[in-house]
Amino acid sequence: MRIIWIIAAAWSLAFGPPAFAQSPPVPVQAPPPTQDGSDDDQLVVDVTGGRRAALPIAIPFMPSPQAADTPAGNTQALGRQVAEIVSSDLRDSGLFTPIGPSGLQAVSFPQVTAPDFPYFSTTGAQNLVQGFVQANANGSLTVGCYLYDVAAQTELTRQGYVVQPRDWRRAAHRCADTIFSRLTGEGAYFDTRIVYVSETGPARRRIKRLAIMDYDGANHRFLTNGQWTVLTPRFAPNQQTITFMTYQDERPRVMLYEIDSGQTRPLVAGAHMTFAPRYSPDSRSIIFSMAVNGNTDIYRIPVGGGTPQRLTSAPGIETGGSYSPDGSKIVFESDRGGSQQLYVMNADGSDQRRISFGGGGYATPVWSPRGDLIAFTRTGSFRIGVMAPNGSGERILTSGVYAEGPSWAPNGRAIMFTRGASAGQLWYVDVASGATRQVRTPLGGSDPAWSPLRD
Amino acid sequence: MDRAEATGIGVALAGHAALLAALAFGFAMAGNPPALTDPMEVSFVDEVGLVSASPEPSAEPAALSTAPETGPVDDAAPAPAPEAPRPAPREAVPAPSPAPAQPRRAQPRPAPPGAGAGERTRRAGLGDLDPRSFGRDPAARSSRAPGAVMSAQAAADIGSAITRQVQPCADRQVDPGPGANRIVTTLNLRLNRDGSLAARPRMVRQSGLDDDNRRYAQRVADIAIAAFTGCSPLRGLPAELYDVPRGWSNFTMNYRLPG
Repeated sequence: MRIIWIIAAAWSLAFGPPAFAQSPPVPVQAPPPTQDGSDDDQLVVDVTGGRRAALPIAIPFMPSPQAADTPAGNTQALGRQVAEIVSSDLRDSGLFTPIGPSGLQAVSFPQVTAPDFPYFSTTGAQNLVQGFVQANANGSLTVGCYLYDVAAQTELTRQGYVVQPRDWRRAAHRCADTIFSRLTGEGAYFDTRIVYVSETGPARRRIKRLAIMDYDGANHRFLTNGQWTVLTPRFAPNQQTITFMTYQDERPRVMLYEIDSGQTRPLVAGAHMTFAPRYSPDSRSIIFSMAVNGNTDIYRIPVGGGTPQRLTSAPGIETGGSYSPDGSKIVFESDRGGSQQLYVMNADGSDQRRISFGGGGYATPVWSPRGDLIAFTRTGSFRIGVMAPNGSGERILTSGVYAEGPSWAPNGRAIMFTRGASAGQLWYVDVASGATRQVRTPLGGSDPAWSPLRD
Repeated sequence: MDRAEATGIGVALAGHAALLAALAFGFAMAGNPPALTDPMEVSFVDEVGLVSASPEPSAEPAALSTAPETGPVDDAAPAPAPEAPRPAPREAVPAPSPAPAQPRRAQPRPAPPGAGAGERTRRAGLGDLDPRSFGRDPAARSSRAPGAVMSAQAAADIGSAITRQVQPCADRQVDPGPGANRIVTTLNLRLNRDGSLAARPRMVRQSGLDDDNRRYAQRVADIAIAAFTGCSPLRGLPAELYDVPRGWSNFTMNYRLPG
């Protein structure tokens, strides 16, 4: 299951001439003597221009140097599907308007590194993604991915991915990640997985199963059989385990699921109710809530088990803890002030400070992977919002329909959440633009948790 | 009052009445007075030339004229260098590009070599009818014309012309994210005489970077380059101000996103 990511330099030598050989026509006239970087003695022109819109990008089908059958299908068919996945990923981000693959002129294998810029400039695209799919002698696949600037007629980046045939979709997502990061400056997030609670059946006898799928809904599978209701799944940052809460015999308990082995075990021994688990950034411990003698507080316990360490002690319900990305602080919700509000404390439980003061209450706080924002559910109106870790700059991102349970994308730019009180659907919202889009899931679902980028 | 006095008074009154009528009729027929002067177009320049724009005396001898002579030809006095043909622009100035696809107007206008200050009085006016004259000094007729200087007015005109041509491509660029508009990217641009790029645009520096927008720095640099290259080659810049000090052969563009 391991993918080998290689830097393109090596294989580009074998593949063909580097694309930078396709730089703009060489000027035939000698320019005047070069001046140094100083522009004090130069003509200076100021230009201001740009717009907030989706970026038009052409993505033609990816050719194959030689058609070959693989366990994942023929390389020519794979080239078409890889281009479609890249196009779909970029479109779903809301930041791109893909042109193609259908309707674009075919690209031959040699043209992958020598694009027909005049043609693509007529499509209205500002950037161009080309690539290829090649079957290797050892049974693996090589997917090449090239990004060009159409106007400047230059190559912006290239990557090559050697994958086992079963992982060909991941190569497509990685290509899309490369394009996205290079053109937006943001971190990648397409080569990720989502664990969520799949909901089927009538409302009064809803079957809730833990399910996992790729970011785009592919490779969907269930992790639990629906015998027990499950809630609030969370990915470990190292992606080796998933923690979640289950109602077994009407009693909430935090469980730990090992992804490779499929084994499940309780996180905490004993009969107390435990819920609302989240990992520490180093994946070594989990904070969770435990009700002891009628008082619910936040505790921390090593992933491997042990004695829980109590972090809060105020009367009332303290729950929903979430670490800052550097692991130094924890945001949580508490009703100690009379209503559900957000508080921040040091990771050892000291220096607890209230950061939210709005009416109606706040719940399910989640610290952004960037560390700059905390997402939350505004209870009462059930909307998703963000605020700075000191409580300033509160901004509501969703409107209208019931929404709850935010989970950050690994790049900290988008938030996935549940929309709809019953028969919920997964949606995500771009934090910068506020644009929302539904996540493709085979079934209705809730409580999404976005994995980190895959290794 | 005797009769003679009465007659005199009557004649005087009649004369005044006639004079008044004549003047009134004359004013009525005169119409609106003509404007004293035609409206003068004034353009504001945001910079002041540090160098005088007036032609400086040249140590070089006045060049041969290439314009039709307006005076009588002195048959008895052949030119001192008759073997020198009439200056052929294509010989004197290297062709900008052999590419046949190059639009003709992208080629530099023939610049007779050596047509310097000494000729200005003879040909003044012809070049100024060219809409691409850009307020140039009539002496700046050659790419290497002695005394060719980028005046503040010419610099402003050329700057406006470049901005006007680059603006459509700048407007097409997509803002990558919040705070990216605080980044100012400074490019060094080197052009051929035909307005095409002589070298890849080079980013000199970026300013306005902070922790929030640093992630967009590389992308904004891409956008700045794409904004220029997308509308390259530039058209209609004055050939005589190509490689003068502060000429457009090598200039600086500051680019930023709006907002």
